[in-house]
Amino acid sequence: MKMYRIILGDKSSWTKKLRIMKLTVILLLGSMVAMSATTYSQNTRLNVSSKNASLIDIFRNIEDQSEFYFYFNKEEVKSKEAVSVDMKDEVISNILDQVLANTGLEYKIIDRYVVVKTKGSADPVIAMQTLRKISGKVSDASGATLPGVSVVVKGTATGTITDAEGNYNLGNVPENAILLFSFVGMKSKEIASGGKSTINIVLEEESIGLEEVVAIGYGTIKKVAMTGSISSVQGSSLSKRETTQLSSALQGTTSGVMVTRSSSSPGDGASIRIRGITTIGTSDPLVIVDGIPVGSIDDVNAKDVETMSVLKDAAAASIYGSRAAAGVILITTRRGVTGKTSINYNYEYGIEKPTAMPTYTRAAAYMKYANEQKWNDNGNVGTQYPVYAQDYIANYAANNLANPDVYPDVNWSDLIFKKNSIRQTHSLTINSGTKNLQTNASFSVDNIGAIYDNKGYKRINARVNNDIIINKYIAASIDLSVKRVESNAPTVDPVGVTRQTAPVYAAVWSNGLIAAGKAGANMYGQIEYGGSIQTWNNQLSGKMSLDLTPIEGLKISAIFSPTFNYDKQKNFTKAIPYTNYNDPNTIVGYIGSYTTTSLNEARNDGFFHTTQFIANYVKSLGMHNLNFMAGYENYYQTYENLGASRDAYELTSFPYLDAGPQTLRGNNGSAWEYAYRSFFGRAMYNFANKYYLQANIRRDGSSRFDPKYRWGVFPSFSAGWVLSSENFMKNLPVINYLKLRASWGALGNERIGNYPYQAAISFGSTALYQSGTATAVTTAAQTQYAIPNISWEKTETSDIGLDINVLKNRLRLTGDYYMKTTKDMLLALQIPPSLGFDNPNQNTGKMDTKGWDFEVTWNDKIGEIGYSASVNLSDFKSKMGDLGGTEFIGDQIKVKGSEFNEWYGYKSLGLFQTAADVAASPKLYANSKPGDIKYQDISGPNGVPDGIISAQYDRIRLGGSLPRYMFGGNLQLDYKGFDFGLVFQGVGKQNARISSTMVRPLEVAWTNVPTILEGKYWSINNTAEQNLKAVYPRLSENAAGANNYAMSDFWMFDGSYFRLKNVSLGYTIPSSISNKIKLQSLRLYTTVSDLFCISHYPKGWDPEVSVTGYPITMNFIFGVSVKF
Amino acid sequence: MKYLIIASLFISLFVGTACTKLDLNPLSSGSSANWYENETEITMALNDCYREIFWFKDDDFNTDDQIQRALQSEVTGNTITGQSGTITNLWLNQYKSISRCNTILASLPRALGTISAAKIDQYAAEARFNRACRYSTLITHFGDVIYTTHVLPLDSAFMVSRTPKADILKGIYADFDFAASKLPTTYAASAAQRATKGAALAMKARIAIYMGDFATARDAAKACMDLGVYKLYADYSTYFLATTKNASESVFMMPRSVALNILFTPYYCQQTVTRNAGGYGNQNPSWDLFCSYLCTDGLTINKSPLYNPQQPFKNRDPRCTKTIVEFGTPHLGFILQPHPDSVKCLNVNTGKYVTNNDARSNSQYASYTALTFKKAVDQSWTTYKIDPDNVIIRYADVLLIYAEAKIELNEIDQTVRDAMNMVRARAYGVDKSAVASYPAITETNQSNLRRVLRLERRMEFATENLRYMDLIRWKLAEVVLNKPSYGMLDPADLRTKIISKGLWFYHGIPDFDSNDLPDFTSWYNAGMIKLLTPKTFDKNRQYLWPLPTTELLGNKNLTQNPGY
Repeated sequence: MKMYRIILGDKSSWTKKLRIMKLTVILLLGSMVAMSATTYSQNTRLNVSSKNASLIDIFRNIEDQSEFYFYFNKEEVKSKEAVSVDMKDEVISNILDQVLANTGLEYKIIDRYVVVKTKGSADPVIAMQTLRKISGKVSDASGATLPGVSVVVKGTATGTITDAEGNYNLGNVPENAILLFSFVGMKSKEIASGGKSTINIVLEEESIGLEEVVAIGYGTIKKVAMTGSISSVQGSSLSKRETTQLSSALQGTTSGVMVTRSSSSPGDGASIRIRGITTIGTSDPLVIVDGIPVGSIDDVNAKDVETMSVLKDAAAASIYGSRAAAGVILITTRRGVTGKTSINYNYEYGIEKPTAMPTYTRAAAYMKYANEQKWNDNGNVGTQYPVYAQDYIANYAANNLANPDVYPDVNWSDLIFKKNSIRQTHSLTINSGTKNLQTNASFSVDNIGAIYDNKGYKRINARVNNDIIINKYIAASIDLSVKRVESNAPTVDPVGVTRQTAPVYAAVWSNGLIAAGKAGANMYGQIEYGGSIQTWNNQLSGKMSLDLTPIEGLKISAIFSPTFNYDKQKNFTKAIPYTNYNDPNTIVGYIGSYTTTSLNEARNDGFFHTTQFIANYVKSLGMHNLNFMAGYENYYQTYENLGASRDAYELTSFPYLDAGPQTLRGNNGSAWEYAYRSFFGRAMYNFANKYYLQANIRRDGSSRFDPKYRWGVFPSFSAGWVLSSENFMKNLPVINYLKLRASWGALGNERIGNYPYQAAISFGSTALYQSGTATAVTTAAQTQYAIPNISWEKTETSDIGLDINVLKNRLRLTGDYYMKTTKDMLLALQIPPSLGFDNPNQNTGKMDTKGWDFEVTWNDKIGEIGYSASVNLSDFKSKMGDLGGTEFIGDQIKVKGSEFNEWYGYKSLGLFQTAADVAASPKLYANSKPGDIKYQDISGPNGVPDGIISAQYDRIRLGGSLPRYMFGGNLQLDYKGFDFGLVFQGVGKQNARISSTMVRPLEVAWTNVPTILEGKYWSINNTAEQNLKAVYPRLSENAAGANNYAMSDFWMFDGSYFRLKNVSLGYTIPSSISNKIKLQSLRLYTTVSDLFCISHYPKGWDPEVSVTGYPITMNFIFGVSVKF
Repeated sequence: MKYLIIASLFISLFVGTACTKLDLNPLSSGSSANWYENETEITMALNDCYREIFWFKDDDFNTDDQIQRALQSEVTGNTITGQSGTITNLWLNQYKSISRCNTILASLPRALGTISAAKIDQYAAEARFNRACRYSTLITHFGDVIYTTHVLPLDSAFMVSRTPKADILKGIYADFDFAASKLPTTYAASAAQRATKGAALAMKARIAIYMGDFATARDAAKACMDLGVYKLYADYSTYFLATTKNASESVFMMPRSVALNILFTPYYCQQTVTRNAGGYGNQNPSWDLFCSYLCTDGLTINKSPLYNPQQPFKNRDPRCTKTIVEFGTPHLGFILQPHPDSVKCLNVNTGKYVTNNDARSNSQYASYTALTFKKAVDQSWTTYKIDPDNVIIRYADVLLIYAEAKIELNEIDQTVRDAMNMVRARAYGVDKSAVASYPAITETNQSNLRRVLRLERRMEFATENLRYMDLIRWKLAEVVLNKPSYGMLDPADLRTKIISKGLWFYHGIPDFDSNDLPDFTSWYNAGMIKLLTPKTFDKNRQYLWPLPTTELLGNKNLTQNPGY
């Protein structure tokens, strides 16, 4: 005999209903079914009027009007004939007496429960117990109270919901009953009442498991039902990273997602590649926030993220067909929750400090090396002190003390770079929900300093997400987010030049005035006094959506989301005159060659909007579960740029156009548009939650293509098989869950500029004499070759995957192997330069990527210590196919058969050690000397070595340049109020190159000498034994560019690294204390990012940093989080 | 039902944005499909030819006229390859302009009817003039190149082969001849001053002389001279300044304008401006150039009794001190004195003595040869924003091309000497008839006159980017570009070896070879000067530059120049 609960529509909110559904689950365990009600006085007057209604309808009607719960056996009640009743203003007993009169049923009212049963049958257990009252409070691990938690007496219908303060009161609880606490997103908990009258309880967050709901394109799905490859990340674990840019927080979180930074400059994000490189053009993933595509993942504040899903394979991503070839990242932002009101304030103070900084020689050593270099370049004839005389060097230190203006010895790096910088973040989140309106509002302010002066980044983010339930059929949401970024920087990036500047140039004279530096190249003067580039980026975006549920299972949504961008920039470059140290009144020249003060302003505005109509229908027919989705999307974007400038400002404190002379004015403007339109659909089917099938199709049309080649169709298919549900697997108790997945799909790409098929005429300006004066004339020319039949690039992906949970679901493994083939790749075809055009984009080329992702997670608890650990590992290799005759040749190449960006250069045979060796060897540089790099003669015009080293015949492929075996992992521990997290990340294998910027000394005969060179370069002053051990070539400007710093395997090394990404420790003050000071909770925490890194990089260099860019920094962050 | 109505109203709000147009055309640029249809559009397309980027000039740093401290150029270091930026940019820019000219030429017939046939001819002439100039640059640097007079389809562009330069030269002549026949001799003052008949003739004469076609050079130069519209500017010094605009000596030039932000390369200014005046003082005259100026008696310094090595600026051809700053004279606001004991120098504007950063005793990067360029340099250079006319060819060049062509043809007559004397006399500020005031050329022997002419060109055109092509066509590159560049000893050595012996500023009179080229080897061997940079010129390959590697990549029919 099977009993079940009828779900009733009622006047309460949907969210409340969700909780009631929880209650339902519990009731299934018992033998009776209840209906909910809120008014149960037996004297309440009710109106019941219906013709030929089923008994169940009548019970429902009563429940709607009152708080009575009906208990009955459905089979018994359903079999009874329909009755007609018309009673007004009657008490329940009168109504039931009449209704049940000829049914053979009887009823019994116990408190607010109405038990309906066959006459004479046994009473349900419920009434047989001694009843008592239990009350208590429910809170979460942080100590915050939880309103809306369902508390049910196990096996009965007795239950309630916690109030706004998390308190509950249960009457009529049988002796020795078990209380069951459940709440969405929390682990359910059972507690034996054991005769107690007060039970306080802490609920823990539900661990990420199979029941977890994951965002997929235009919908959500339970993880168990996934057939594609999707990784999801909780927002909380991203915000814990404490990066200002969301992109950087992704590093190491997910397998198959390669995140690379090149700097920690305030405001800089990271580049994200999902499952490697699929195209030569843009491989940035598509980022969707709350269903709407956005320009950059960094438009979202990490603290607003509720969940993030990474759609990795075609089956998962192809619903976004057009632009999903490089993968899709779906972000949902935090939303309001009914019945829960809280204010959360968070403050963070952080100190940033470069992970590594290269060092350079000081004056005496510098002069010594400069002499050696020049002497080498003069053929080692004449004086060995060709640049700086011997006694000049010998006396330099003493002279420097006496007269630093004439004998400077400046450590430019120390002068310009500070030891650390400060960042601060304030954020406030307000969450509140009534049954018709749920709101989550967040507001945050970041203020980030830099390690050199006049650079900073301020950001204000605000977001309000509202969900409105209008009635049973209609719901709406209105979201609004605002971002303002204000950044400030010197007019030049000082990092590279600061390191280059030799110590023998003065930055500031002893009289305090700005010194010449190297003939006006004085980075210190420039960043301190040279003006600034100020940028303001403002973004306002909104989203309105309307959801209709006309019939059960069908949801129709209409969504409109506009975004406004308004960016403003002022580049005010000031002329900084400098003087001689002994003549402060005479201007000698201007720092950085800026002889005039000029202002360049830009005002760029953009507007984009997305419109979507989506219908979703869910239906279960017995064991067959169906889910259909169909949709339409339209996107439009327009941008207009405006620039204006004036030059030769007399005043340096008025960065406004009017303050400059009218004679030297400039201005410019440009604009573009882009639009696409898509139709898409999805069908998901599963049988008995065992066999899953999914099909997607999307048809996209883009304004970037000619109408004839505009539309592309992108289908995908996937299937999943839950083996663990099969009978033959049930005997293997170790395996709790096992699913096989397979998918195939096609994706598109069209990111190639806005009008690639059109032969556009671009305008310019030049001058001709007219009436004796130079007069501007407009020029017009087609600069780019146009290929009219250009169309979609397509990437096909096949994926097979495995999900397995063992050891009571504590150990979870997910693995995928995939193959991607990109065809008709859009790439700038290298056309013969003699054609006279810039290279056009063309559908040509093919490339393949093969790779795998693997993720293992372990969750458990030892006593009160909860812990979890996860490790991910992934790898891919991209091979170039036929590129339609195009080759990308440089230090890295992309040619048929090569890897993507494979190193390309000479094969070195070490350093020339003797003149005889030089004389007898083929050479790249005719004037090579011992100490230069020796290369192998690979081939020549006739296919055999020709006795000279040439770029055309002697360069070979030297192995892939991309990182391999990227790994990441984390460990989480919690014990009582403490929580601890650790994240690591790294690269298992990479062919890296020592860039010449890191090691090349005295470039153009004057740049600084890196200290890593000292004692390690080939020198004519060394013994032969010492030179055999030399790892860098001799000092020579002539041989440097021509020979030594050409790309060769001489400069390659093992670029693998392991980085301790993040360590965090938090402590939540026990609620007993925080409640006393009227707080819901109080958490203190500290986080350290990028604490250390193990690598083979030369001393002073971080594996990720760009060689001339802002350093990667480690952050020490202290934070406090208060919840009211 | 009520709600459905509300909902559909709500949805209808979105409908305006639900279907935006997909047929989007560029907003801020034109479309080539309907361009070149009227006079405005054609003129705008032709205007593109007058952008400085297409008018390649050889860098004097590749010659024996200029030093940049101890640096080598890609050419003097013999390191130039098909991947060098110089090569790829030069090549691509020439072909961009050629392709645009070819497009204009192909499109012009479409405008017939809206524009008169005469105008169409004139526009065609302008396009062909520009195309001929581009191919001239290409064949002089690369030899045989890809030659096309129409825009190639992409497929065939991957299969083209090199056309012998002799054949291209015929095409160039045809273009110049057409241009000369259809372009106006002058434009009305109020009209834009575009290419003229004289420009076509002068550029034809230049390519002809570069290619050794002396008869054509002679005739074209003569035809240009006979137009009677060009004359030498009276003052050799001021002609080159930014303040001299649109001079009648400038046969073909394009204006620059600070106001329009069309500037002479700021970096070049900075490299040239002395260190006292805030520049780098890096780009300096070589001793080779300095010693090549004749004395006022018309003799080289090793032969002239007028030459005093301790007063090397005295009694020299006036162009010497108009090109190179004489020591002790004001330059950019300071008295230029590179003598290491001149630790202070006079700021002529303030009347105060200041640290002399143009002396190597104070600044190790002050001129390594002690010499500083003066030609074209004035105070405005210290702003690095200057707008002298971009002169492509001037009348003095036409005259000397005429003379050279006639000398090589051994048609030595008075017109040859007249042409040369006009140029020389102007340097002295007199008319060629004032033979008492300047060393008029009277030589009649072909080989002697050839030497005189070559020296005359060197003196006249120093810093004007013409020396490299002169060295190439005279086959002197293999001589001079295999000699190192030399400079002064470092201050301490200089004091002991030179100054203390009363030899400032340098050793004496250098040796001269049979080409009148100075040679400092003996000074160097005596330890009296410093070797700045060795130079290498491989005569087996360097007379031509390598084709860009990118051009060769996809095309099996193309071969690289020998030796690259």
